This record gives sequence, structure tokens and C-alpha cells, in this order.
Amino acid sequence: MEEAKVGVFLSDCGNQLSKILDFNAITDYVKKVPSVTLIARSTEFWRGKGLQAIMDAIKGGKINRVVVAESLPKLSEVNIVQAVENTGLNPYLVEVINLKDHCAWPHRNTPSEATEKAKAMLLAAIERAKLLEPIDRLEFPALKSALIIGGGIAGMQAAMDLADLRFEVHLIEKAPFLGGLAARAGRFFPTDDCAICIQSPASDVKTITHTSRKCVYRSGFSEIPNLNILTNSKVVSVEGVPGNYKVTIEEKPRYVDEIKCVGCDLCTTVCPVEVPDEYNAKLKTRKAIYMNILNVYPPVYVIDGYVCKFHDCAKCVEVCPTNAIDLDQKSGQTTLNVGAIILATGFQEFDSSVIKEYHYGDYPDVITNLEFARMIDSFGPTGGMVVKPSDRKPAKKIVMIQCVGSRDRRWNAYCSGICCMISLKHAALIKSAYPDADVTICYIDIRTTGREHEYYYEKAREMGVTFVKGRPTEVSRDPETGRLIVDVEDALLKRFLELEADLVVLAPAMVPAEGTKELAEILGLELDEDGFFKEYNAKLRPTETKLRGMYLCGGVTFPKDAPTTSLHAHSAALKTAKFLSAGKIVKDQRTAVVNEEYCGDCEFCPVTCPYGAISLEEITEGHFVAKISDLLCEGCGICVGTCPVGAIELRHSTANQIRVQMRALMSINGTSKPLVLAICCSECGGAAVDSSGMAMMQYPANVRVMKVPCTGILQVHQFLEAFKAGAQGLMIVGCKNEGCHYEVGVQKASKKVELAKILLKEFGIEPERLRMFNMVFIEGDKFAEAAQTMTERLEKMGPLQLMGGS
Amino acid sequence: MECGKETKAASLTFSNIVTSRLGGETITSCYQCGTCASSCPVAKLTDKFNPREVIKLSLFGEKEEVLSGDSIWLCCSCYNCQERCPQKVEIADIIYALRNIAFEEGYIPNIYSEFASAILNSGRIVPVSKFIEKKRPDLGLPPLQSAGVDAIRKILCATGFDKLQQRKEEGS
Repeated sequence: MEEAKVGVFLSDCGNQLSKILDFNAITDYVKKVPSVTLIARSTEFWRGKGLQAIMDAIKGGKINRVVVAESLPKLSEVNIVQAVENTGLNPYLVEVINLKDHCAWPHRNTPSEATEKAKAMLLAAIERAKLLEPIDRLEFPALKSALIIGGGIAGMQAAMDLADLRFEVHLIEKAPFLGGLAARAGRFFPTDDCAICIQSPASDVKTITHTSRKCVYRSGFSEIPNLNILTNSKVVSVEGVPGNYKVTIEEKPRYVDEIKCVGCDLCTTVCPVEVPDEYNAKLKTRKAIYMNILNVYPPVYVIDGYVCKFHDCAKCVEVCPTNAIDLDQKSGQTTLNVGAIILATGFQEFDSSVIKEYHYGDYPDVITNLEFARMIDSFGPTGGMVVKPSDRKPAKKIVMIQCVGSRDRRWNAYCSGICCMISLKHAALIKSAYPDADVTICYIDIRTTGREHEYYYEKAREMGVTFVKGRPTEVSRDPETGRLIVDVEDALLKRFLELEADLVVLAPAMVPAEGTKELAEILGLELDEDGFFKEYNAKLRPTETKLRGMYLCGGVTFPKDAPTTSLHAHSAALKTAKFLSAGKIVKDQRTAVVNEEYCGDCEFCPVTCPYGAISLEEITEGHFVAKISDLLCEGCGICVGTCPVGAIELRHSTANQIRVQMRALMSINGTSKPLVLAICCSECGGAAVDSSGMAMMQYPANVRVMKVPCTGILQVHQFLEAFKAGAQGLMIVGCKNEGCHYEVGVQKASKKVELAKILLKEFGIEPERLRMFNMVFIEGDKFAEAAQTMTERLEKMGPLQLMGGS
Repeated sequence: MECGKETKAASLTFSNIVTSRLGGETITSCYQCGTCASSCPVAKLTDKFNPREVIKLSLFGEKEEVLSGDSIWLCCSCYNCQERCPQKVEIADIIYALRNIAFEEGYIPNIYSEFASAILNSGRIVPVSKFIEKKRPDLGLPPLQSAGVDAIRKILCATGFDKLQQRKEEGS
């Protein structure tokens, strides 16, 4: 490696900083630091002439390390680093510090102290710069293909988008037919159009059929180029890395050849097996060989393997005119190679039968919203008639109960969000078909927050739907008449009502689809406390997961109505396209690296890594070492902080670099106050420090700031090193516990701080000298206050006594 | 305006008092769905008691109204409301907490006060009459043991119950 030649560029922000900092003294000091070959001062260095000066110095060979003291956090850094890269120098040989917000502004009342601090900050930057190593840019292959799990409205929308963008798309669905929950819903709010209608894709197929709006089934969805649909299938295993997954799919037998079957319906007429039709809320029966509803995809029959008598009967085989039925079909496995995976497995209704007092599953005339949706569908089991399932007679009095198992801490504490709208829609549909029907909705709160949703509430009131503010305690049955009675208090009237009902419709909570847990395990994804898939960040990174290459859309993250599901699906498709479109993943090697000589067998780091980037590999018999995937590693350093033998290092923040920085920051005091080292993360914690300076909040100059990628990188011995280096107090400033940018880093740091406090006590050092803080950008005032308080507390405590006297 | 301010300050204090009491912790979870009221066998017989209303008034800071009325003493502790509450509000326990506060503040219906005196004096709420003693063997029940009045009194003294009761007796 070439000898380090450090160029130091000092921005005075249009002479603003020089009113506080003594730039001549600083320049004189920096000149004397070994390896510094160039010092320049200008108004700004992050753009224009100043930036050109940096580039010229590099090109002229005068310097090979760059230290810039600039003012705008992040923005200046990004610009400078990009410019340096354009000159051909490795961009990781640049160190940018912020003399304005970390020194001049917060210490403007004590200029001489600020000048001394500036010297220490520059020394730390120069010492770190000398130790910086170039970091390579890596490329990984990315297959231009995606797997979408779940063929409901979300999965289909995402599949259409990606296929239209010329990606190879595999859409798999667990059920024998596409459509999911949406297809069963009858009609949608807020557009009142039929549930199986969604905007058609902007694909070539559309131009052939010349319709602007049509249902996915009739849109020729299955004929979109590059789209491979697998029904009756589920994911068995996923291997590989983002950009290149190998997914094993198990396909259950359909027993009907999809190409040969012409859908003539002869098979169902001869099939002797009749079972309740779950799809239609058991309001009718179906045969062992069946098709769900009109116009499904695939438009071929399927045999229910659980009830079919197979060769003991085989009547369908005899009658089939195209020989499409094969009773010996076996389940098969296929392997797909895809670059990314989108999860769209949706949600389902909560099992209301666990709430015993409502007697769902016990009284046949107590049904759920989804079952009711089938009932009022004119293609449904009753042909759109609202009947009592017990005797099939028309139901005239209908009572709906909201929040069944949702907003209920015993089952699901959250509000499912869509059930009020579903019930209002149903109430309006009943009233328009049967104006005489008596419809009552028992509610806790009516929530109609979406576009045009309030209109449904309005319409329902106009149509004469009765609203009772109260959650019923019980549904009972009159032993004589057999009529249902809903026992409820109308809180507004303060009156107890016993509502008679022919039909009680429950609005159950919407919960994660069956099999969500298993799927999460297969994919290595986390679920939230309610059992839904965890979105990486709902605000900034919707539809993403913590694993690059895996995306979520629709009801997998939370119950959603159809418009929101569509939006979510388009977002997931776009994210996937962005990820795969280059055909490669470009990533800097800002990663952790293992020293195999020290590493041995302990398994701490693979467990700690939030990204699953670390695996153990057997190098000699019985001896395992950690291997870090450069593709999966996010460069946080949590593994570094975890390794008990110091065998892991971050390429962009080594233990040596941290050590020299600490020592340099503590080498000059210049104030009469005890030195404090504030180690902050480069995310929220660092941003809080930045903002306190930007807002000119004042804190004493004895507080020195040092940034690390994440506080999770810190180890207990580093706290001790900081004291040894001269710190009298130590502040660790990280993100909020639940908002750590690396999932668990700040929590790990908190634990280590607690541990270190015990250790300090053992050595006779006041544990109060070490404190952990959790802050975000808008809490800059908190940092200034904490720095002030820390200093005052240390002054009261007196100087630190270390063994060996320092 | 002045009045509004006062109500707010009062409400903070009273709901805080309730949450700080054993059994009263969950009161703030209530969202007034009324499951408790429609579950309540007492509320259906008399409009003097409605658990939903007791909770709302308490949260609203209507201390006097809650503590001085008959309402809280009418709960029959069947726990139906608590069993069915979707927010896991421990309604029956809250009512016990409110009764304790009421007792401390000097509100107790005479009948309960008499019960309290009876317990302090004899260890029993219902005095044992000759008739009862005679009837027990006919029903195949063993003779009644002593109520252990000393032990009971000791416990009640340790909790300060005796002083509160004394104060009540003097007051009335």
C-alpha cells in the first residue's frame, strides 16, 4: 500500500465559522500532523470550485486520502464521495467531518474552547483517514424472474405488472382456482362493481379484446406472455440468495388434465359423492369433482382427493368425452429459479366459534360476513336470496354484529379496518333488494375512513338501516319459536334491547391466512405480534422485508380493502422490478470480514445477525468458522460487537480506526471541564447530534462526538478503552429501541452498557460515567441537554481514578 | 371555562386514584362498547346500576356521583361482564376498588355498615340464631365452629378497617 498522503480541506462556510474558530491556529496545528501533505481553506468544498480543488489535488497525485470539514450532514458527504470516485480514487478513502454543527455552532459562546475541539476533531479524522482501506464494488447475478405466492387480487395484480415489464413470472396458488378471498366477496366497496372485476392489465392481451375494464378472468390473464400459473401448489422450500433463489414447489394432483378438459360438466352429473360446499358457506353441496364459480381460472374441473372414491367408482372417467380424467395422477415437485419472491397470501376470517356467546357454528342462522357475501351473490348458493340457513325460508330481520374477535384483547387487539365497510355494503345491498327487510347494525364505533366510504354510511341510514351503539353480550335462541335474540344495550338510549333476528351476521376480525407461520419459517421472514408479515418500514419502505429480494403485498401485512391491496401490489411489483431490472445486484463490500485464525465454533454471530448473513462452515474436521455473505451483510457491525474473541471486523470501521479516533478526540481538552466522548450511530442517534448543532443548541466543548455505523458494533472493552484514552464520561447515542435501522443493534448496545456498568463498579469506577441514550433527529435538544447534564454530573463526581493512574 | 378546567383536573385525579388501586388498574382500557351492561343481570332489573355508566362517570371524574350513590353497591359480583369484556377491563374488580374508596371517604350504605360492625364484633355477617343451630343437624350439617373473631379482628385492625368503620359509626 502506498504511503498515506492526507489532504485536509477546511470549509469556513463563507467566513461564518472563522468568527468563532481560529482558522490560523487550526491550520498551524494540522500542518504539524505527520502525513498531512496539503491544507486548503475555502467557503465550501462540497460543490463548485472547492470540490474541483479536491479533485485536482487527487489527480495531481498530491494526496491519496481526503479529509473534509464541511457543514451539511450527509448531503456534502454524498457529493464529495461521488466526486472523489470520479477521479479514480477509491471513495472509501474519504473522511468527512462537520466542524460547523459538531463544533462551531454548539460552542459559539466559547470560541477558544471550540478551536481546541476543532483541532482534536481534525486530528481524529486525519488519523482515521490514514488507516482507511479501499473497498471494492461487487456484482452479484440477479435473475429476471419472480415468484409470486398467492393468487388472490394482490398476487394477480403484481403478476400482471411484472409480466408486462417482461419479467418471467411464476404465480402459485394453494387452492385449485385463482381468485382468493376477493372472488368470494360478491361486490366491492367503494365502487360497487363485481368482486372479480379489477382493472385489466396494460398488456398486449388488452389491445386484442378492446375493453378498458374487465374482470381478470375474462381479461385473458392466463394468456399474458411470461406468466406461468400453478394452482393447487405450495412452496416447500427456498434456498439461495437474493437475486438467485431456488424454490421447490409441490403441486397437488388435480386428477383432471388442464389441456384436455373442455368443461362440459358431464362429470359432475354422474359423480355420486355429494359434500357441503365450503366455498359457498356450506349453503349448498358440491360433487367430488367440481368447479368453484363461473368463469374461474383454470376453467377446468378438479377432483377433491379427500372425498373421491377413485377407482371404486370412476364414473367420471367413463363419461368424460375427452379422456381428461386421470385418477392415478400423483403430486409432483418442481424447482423454480427466481431472482425475487413476492408474498401475497392474504388474510382470512377469524374463527368466530371461539366466542361462545355468539353461538357461531352452533346456531345455523348465525353466519359470518363472508358467508353472507356468498348468499347475496346472485351466482351464489341461494341465487342472491337472503335466507335462514336452518330452513331456507326468507330472512326478514337481520342483525349484524361488528368487531367479532377484533378490537378484542382476548383475541385480536387491532381493528381490522374493513369490516365496518363490508357490513354497511351488505346492509345497503339487502335494503336495495328487499326494502322491507329490517336490518340492524350493532357497532362500537363505525369506521369509514376511506375515499367515498362515509357515503355508504349515509346511504345505509337513508335506506332505513337501524344502528345500535353497543356490542351485544349474547345471541340466544328462543326455545319455543326458535328465533334468535340479540341481547344488547344501546348506550345512546341507555336502554336494553332484545333484538329478534331471523339471521345474525357476524363481522369477524381478519387474521393472517392459514399457513402464514409455516411460510414465514420457510422464507426466513419475521411475523409481527398479530401474526402478519412484518413490513420493513411502513413509511419509507412499504412492501419490503428486511431481506432484499423478498417483498410483501396485500393482506399479508394487515387486512386491506381492494383498492389498497391493488396499490400495495403495484408497489411490490415496482420494488421487485427495480431490484432485478439490471440483471445484477451492485453492492459495495462495506461488510464484515472474519479472521478465520481466531474464529472458532461459538455460533454467537450467526444467531445475532439480523439479516441471516452469517453461516458456519466446517474448514477442518469438527472445526467451524463463520462465513459472511457479502450479498446479505448490511454492514452494521452487530456481529463485531457480539464476537467474544474479536475475530470479526467491519471493513469500513475497524477496531484500529475506532481506537485512533477515540485517542485523538481525547488528546486535546482546551476546556477546564472533564472530557466526554459521545459515541453515536450514523443513523437516528447521529442525526440528533447533527440537529442540535444545526439549531445552535449550546453544550460544552468538552463533549466530543464520534460516529460508528451502529451502536451495536461496540464492545464492552471499547468503553474501557475510551476511559483509558482520557474520557471522564461516555455517552452512547443510538436510535430508538423500536426504530433501530439495523433491527436490534441499539438493543444489543443497551445490554452491553448495562454489562459494562457492572464491570466499572467492580473496578471502583462510578457506573454513572457511562450512559445510554436513544434519540431521533427531532430530539436534538435532548442531546444538548444530556451533554450539559453529563458534564455537570462529572464535575461533581471529580476526576476519574484509573488503576495505574491516568 | 373555569368550570371546564376544574372538571379536567378532577377527572385526572379520580381515574388516577382508581388505577392505583388493587383491581382498578384496567379502567382506562374501557371503550364503552356496553358488553358489560348487556351482560349485567342487575342492570336489567334496575336503572340504578349500569356498569358501563359507572366506568364512564369514573373516567369523567365524577367522583362524588360515583362514590356517594347506591350504584356501586348494587353489583352482585357475578363477573359475567368481566368474562365478556373485549378490552379485558376487570369491571367487577373495579367496582370493588370503587367501594373501597367510597368506604374510605365515608360513603357506605347502612346495611353494609351494619355488616361491617357485625364482622368486627362477632366475626359473622349473619348472627347465628338458636333456630339455625337447631335446624343444622336436621339438614345433616355439622355444628357451627367458632368464627375466630380474634383473628378476624386482628386482620381488620392491621388493615385499618376498624378505624374506618369506627369513624363511620361515629359519623352516623
